[in-house]
Amino acid sequence: MSYRDPLPEGCPPEGAEEIATPRVVFRLVRTNPPTPVDFLSQRQENPSKVFPGISECLACGLSVFADRHDAVAKAQKLPNLKNRKICRVTLDAGAGRIQPTFQPSHHTWWPLASFDILTHSGVESA
Amino acid sequence: MTFFPKHTVKTIRHTATLFYYDGPQVFEARDAIGGHYIAVMVEPQDGNDCYLVVGVAPERLRQFRAGGLDLHTLISEGGQDEWYLAPVLAGLTEPLPLQAQSALLSDSGFLPEPGFLLYDRPAEELALKEARERHNLVLEIAADPPEAAAEHRIHVGTLIGLLSHVQIMIKHAYRAALAELSPMDKRTIDKTDAHIMDVVIPAAAGSFRVVLEAAKTPDLLGQSELARALQRLDVLFENAADPLKALATVKEHKGHLAGAYLRLLRFLAQHKTGLRYSWAEPNFSKPCFRSVAESEVGPLVAALSGVSNLGGEPVTLIGEFNKFNREIGAWGLKTETGMMSGKVRDGGPSLDGLSAGARYKFSCVEEIEEVEGTGREIRTLYLIEHGPA
Repeated sequence: MSYRDPLPEGCPPEGAEEIATPRVVFRLVRTNPPTPVDFLSQRQENPSKVFPGISECLACGLSVFADRHDAVAKAQKLPNLKNRKICRVTLDAGAGRIQPTFQPSHHTWWPLASFDILTHSGVESA
Repeated sequence: MTFFPKHTVKTIRHTATLFYYDGPQVFEARDAIGGHYIAVMVEPQDGNDCYLVVGVAPERLRQFRAGGLDLHTLISEGGQDEWYLAPVLAGLTEPLPLQAQSALLSDSGFLPEPGFLLYDRPAEELALKEARERHNLVLEIAADPPEAAAEHRIHVGTLIGLLSHVQIMIKHAYRAALAELSPMDKRTIDKTDAHIMDVVIPAAAGSFRVVLEAAKTPDLLGQSELARALQRLDVLFENAADPLKALATVKEHKGHLAGAYLRLLRFLAQHKTGLRYSWAEPNFSKPCFRSVAESEVGPLVAALSGVSNLGGEPVTLIGEFNKFNREIGAWGLKTETGMMSGKVRDGGPSLDGLSAGARYKFSCVEEIEEVEGTGREIRTLYLIEHGPA
């Protein structure tokens, strides 16, 4: 079992749940249909960037919301994210590990290399 | 002669991330003289993350943190006179230089849309409300000693003792929680004073209630180290109404934490009060709540008092036997970390036959006694077994 991104030792954390049953999460993407660029981690987007205060493990994960409402009523209202689209991602066994982080509904997801994200994703109409 | 101050660039420091999505999207910050700011990520500039920054009144910031004020309103109010852009050149742990903007903020296109509230519903419970407003872990404790029955009153000694016992128990709970972490996790944690709580509301309305806040601010994730300790407390208080179940649970946590728990229960029994507590972090949907009623305290103390060595923790020492008094059973062992001293225990091995200057391995039990009313702990090592090193 290998993760899509190179992860530091001890990542994902012990508290991260292995995804074993289907669940839906929501990610903000730039294009419809989404492309691989929409699912880059902070680390992949910025290979040499320093993320002070954010652990390398979190920088290697993807932000997703468990609750669509939080993507719409919060994230999409922010100037940096307002032009993004809501993308539904269906996670299933083999999708990797996930953990609640930061505010309610926000999760960090560490996808497995074998999980084809794009075939499990679809942009929702507004 | 008149001296004019040199022109300096105003800077702010990140203090707490309030909303995260692939990086801090909304955070609060302070300037060098303690002024409050809110920052919202806008489109990157020259490849660098960039934030819209405005100064805000502390009370409006508190309302925003609590979920009662929307971000658009907060920023519009704060940015009426001055607003800034802050490109992140060296990361959020470094001071961020502010670039004052002359255009109207309302025309900038940087304002968030109306309707962004940090929380969907206001907190009803005091602990959660305070946790959100303070953006930190908050613990509320409530006691009902006899003097509090008719009015908002508590004996000084009862209040001091209660706070002291709770703080000591949290300290041992944190230590116990840390002991189970992997070495790598331990290395990444700032453990310094992480167990310390501050009283922030000494007498909240209602029965005698005190509100405490973690003395240290949470990490950038908004999580407090103290949560590890309070989760341990929750486990111990889980079955307070059932002495047999409680006994089994406490036996699983034998050591200084269990000892501190028993001392707290004895204190409650002595002062004829139960204890209720609830705690929350800002992102909780509801606080964690536990209680032990006054009527439950006595049976619990009776059950736990029967366990031998409940509060003792095993300690192994290796060193040179060089200070001792065989008559009173006191000993000293010079170890690599310094001189360790202890006592023999009734029924345990004596110091007879041990030679001054020789090296031994001492298996001991460390027990803690508390100096009544001071919160001070006295640790004593009791010799259980010895042999050549």
